[in-house]
Amino acid sequence: MWLDESIPVRFSLPAGHETGIDCVSSAISQEGDVLLTVGIIANPVSGKDIRRLVAYGSVFDNQEKVRIIRRILTGLVAAGVTRVMYMPDSQCMVSRALENIEAPMEVEEMDMHMENTQDDSIHAARKMEAAGVSAIVVLGGDGTSRAVRKGAPNTPLLPVSTGTNNVFPAMMEATVAGLAAGIVATGRFPLERTCCRASILDVYIDGEAVDIALVDVAVYDGMFTGSRAVWDMDMVPQVFFSRCRADVIGMSAVGGQLERILPEEPRGLALDLCPPSTDVPVVTAAIAPGRFASVGIMRRVEMLPGQDCPVTISPCLLAVDGEREVEVGEGRRASVRLNPDGVWVIDVPKVMELARSAGFFVS
Amino acid sequence: MAKKTYLQALNEAMRLEMERDADVFIIGEDVGKFGGCFGVTQGLFDKFGSERVIDTPITESAIVGAAVGSAVSGLRPVAELMFVDFIGCALDQLFNQGAKMRYMFGGKAKVPMTLRMPQGAGVCAAAQHSQSLEAWFMHIPGIKVAIPSTPYDAKGLLISAIREDNPVIFLEHKMLYGVEGEVPDESYTIPLGKADVKREGADVTVVATSRMVHSALEAAETLAASGISVEVVDPRSLQPLDSDTIVESVKKTHALVVAHEAVGFAGPGAEIIAQVAEKALDYLDAPVKRVAAPFCPVPFSPPLEQAFIPGADAIVAAVKSLR
Amino acid sequence: MKSPDKKVLLSMFGTMHKIRAFETACQEFFAAGKIPGFVHLYLGEEAVATGACATLRKTDMITSTHRGHGHCLAKGGDLKFMMAEIFGRKTGYCKGKGGSMHIADVHIGILGANGIVGGGGPLAAGAALSSKYRKSDTVTVCFFGDGASNQGTTQEALNLASAWKLPLVFINENNGYGISCPQSKSMAITDIADRASAYDMPGVVVDGNDVLAVYEAVSEAVNRARQGKGPSLLECKTYRWRGHFEGDPTVYRPESELKEWMAKDPIPRFAKKLLDSKQATQAELDAIVGGVKKEVEEAVAFAESSPYPELADLLEDVYA
Repeated sequence: MWLDESIPVRFSLPAGHETGIDCVSSAISQEGDVLLTVGIIANPVSGKDIRRLVAYGSVFDNQEKVRIIRRILTGLVAAGVTRVMYMPDSQCMVSRALENIEAPMEVEEMDMHMENTQDDSIHAARKMEAAGVSAIVVLGGDGTSRAVRKGAPNTPLLPVSTGTNNVFPAMMEATVAGLAAGIVATGRFPLERTCCRASILDVYIDGEAVDIALVDVAVYDGMFTGSRAVWDMDMVPQVFFSRCRADVIGMSAVGGQLERILPEEPRGLALDLCPPSTDVPVVTAAIAPGRFASVGIMRRVEMLPGQDCPVTISPCLLAVDGEREVEVGEGRRASVRLNPDGVWVIDVPKVMELARSAGFFVS
Repeated sequence: MAKKTYLQALNEAMRLEMERDADVFIIGEDVGKFGGCFGVTQGLFDKFGSERVIDTPITESAIVGAAVGSAVSGLRPVAELMFVDFIGCALDQLFNQGAKMRYMFGGKAKVPMTLRMPQGAGVCAAAQHSQSLEAWFMHIPGIKVAIPSTPYDAKGLLISAIREDNPVIFLEHKMLYGVEGEVPDESYTIPLGKADVKREGADVTVVATSRMVHSALEAAETLAASGISVEVVDPRSLQPLDSDTIVESVKKTHALVVAHEAVGFAGPGAEIIAQVAEKALDYLDAPVKRVAAPFCPVPFSPPLEQAFIPGADAIVAAVKSLR
Repeated sequence: MKSPDKKVLLSMFGTMHKIRAFETACQEFFAAGKIPGFVHLYLGEEAVATGACATLRKTDMITSTHRGHGHCLAKGGDLKFMMAEIFGRKTGYCKGKGGSMHIADVHIGILGANGIVGGGGPLAAGAALSSKYRKSDTVTVCFFGDGASNQGTTQEALNLASAWKLPLVFINENNGYGISCPQSKSMAITDIADRASAYDMPGVVVDGNDVLAVYEAVSEAVNRARQGKGPSLLECKTYRWRGHFEGDPTVYRPESELKEWMAKDPIPRFAKKLLDSKQATQAELDAIVGGVKKEVEEAVAFAESSPYPELADLLEDVYA
């Protein structure tokens, strides 16, 4: 870590601080000394990978992430959140965000050892869940959300996209997103009304659960994780989806051209792929920003909850949510199962509609 | 032989070399359709196209660096900076990179590039567009410095510079661009390091460079009327410096005046005089004199600028003061 | 893209070890007073030069930095001539006139290490311009550090390369420090790759301690450049194990930080991948390591037994 010691990393301001932002909802009262805590996990390395080179991935600089965090913080305060805990990151994004705003809330930088790997997000999420945060705001791509879900399986997540071709996190205006996360955190509505319970994929090797994917698992016919992203569909003989839609970008767009599976539906889709030919149906889909691929569909199977769907080759790599991650050694048996009790995802339009009907922001 | 201007002679030199050698190309700010800040490259873009007459952004470090990098990888660039004054932006690429590469790499690389830069006062361009900086370049081992005074020399020296396997700083005086002289149509070279006696004389040697050669010739004419015979020597290149020709002249005349438009203090004249002092001090019958610009930035206002530029009168006065 | 084949993999393993052993020998002989001047070691950063140069052809060119031994070795530089140069001997690449900071071999595309931080960018632009001018498909790689990324020369080179779509790959080796100054104090941004978008070129952050990640990213950038699609900027995050120069007391960084990065040593990490994927046996790797050790020993012996330049050489090679 190349930390600048001059950046304050831990401070707090009294609730009801006179200047800056403040709780704007007359309906949300702050109940005495009870702190409403929301966690923030921001991945400093999302939005920088090789898809800017092999495709036309957008450039998401960390300065913009800092501005997004500022907007989220104002939304959280407006909803009445009184405490934020956040994962420290090597780029000090949250502390930089706090530098230029006055947030009347208690702020805690988590005391944790940083590896500067994805494991940081897992560990931070686990600690946040243990500390009883009411929601976790995640800034990053599919990979970051996946890591957070691994650490905090029971906490509602608000995944804000700062990645490349995200299916799980949505592009959203961060002020309103913060507001929605804050409203969920107040606990005024049951999770069933504010969140979607999304299915995920569990990854097994020789019968042992080793990893998860939020959206897709791609079997990669190679040995090395390399630059992690997957853009060459010739290397992918098999894919599994927990959800798919025609209007998304990324691997799941392949499934999305065949059928629509909503995140909360208790079913998934498995495809065996082959090079395009006249003998098989051929799907053309945008598998990365500005990059299309055509693949032949050799076999198409619906995945049912808990059903064990085997990976047909070994050795290979499994790319989870677009990143080569899980190594499957020669002779090992890998498989994928749909898990319908996957993750609580905050549905911003739904939350805001509930808040509107309850007259939250009208006095 | 046809009469051509100094500017036309330079233009012709580049055209001939580009016709002769496909590796020769021009790179610089506004050198293309625009024809160069002073028009020296005009017509070359139409003849050779944008791939060989390359307009750059305003980016002097990258111009000089790209010239060095393309030269060390086999091309023969002729780069132009609009004014010599702008070399300040690009000095590292010239004196730490281009100049030293051959030596640092143990003689296993060559850097065949020419860097053309107009210098000199006279157009009210003030302190950042009028300097004469030849002394800076003379001081750096690894580069050569050409400083032609006539159209004939300009063409022959530029062709030599382009064919050189070393970086050559080619200093043109902006007040000479319109000067006419006899210039053959065909290609010819004038070796770097060979001075030219522009006028023979017996009583005093005036070593003059660039525009001051013309002032020296004018002064010689004036002095001839007073019975003083002046020999005018134009070194034509300052690195290498043909001190032999200068020394021979001094041995004959026993008196030396050095004239240049660069400021006098630590100027090119200091080196020329030191060479004579080392090799022919005993031949001198009088103290040496420098005719040079005063030690101040080039001023803007016309009367001040004219006072700054040393002229023929100053040379006449200097020569007369020796007697 | 396909994974690199076994030959490439083992060659990269050998190169990383060659750099490690070469630099370790430099460290040792500098400490023993046998190497004059300044030495900037590449220990810990081996994956960057190795992965990058493994994608290049002999005719491709590189510009290097003051921390250049790794680049030169990876581009095919001869250990004996390099070591002799570092020892200041007549048999060195530069006949003892350049030393550690100026090793070059233009015949295999090494356009020189460079004593000036940021000095290489414009030169690389010029080399890439040569390729474009000659309509050849050679590519130039410009290695530069996080410190150099703040130099105007680097920004001018990035701009020129993108304006002219030059076949140039900028490889930023971000080791976190410009001498003693941490990145957080030398720039307000965290990823140098972000600067690429200002020049409309792809900017990618790469794990600089993963040789395969570097190889893959540089392959794509080099192919892009070869096809005339213009430059790219790859930021390889890595760390130098030693100080800025040998003798630097490194008071500006915590020991724990060094330990963390040493735990991410790119060499055992790559070895494990080779073994796990059954691309190599331990015996094969051991043989490579042994061979490299011998090569470095021979290079040192060659350097030590070589004469110093003759004083008459002083004035040679100033001009062609």
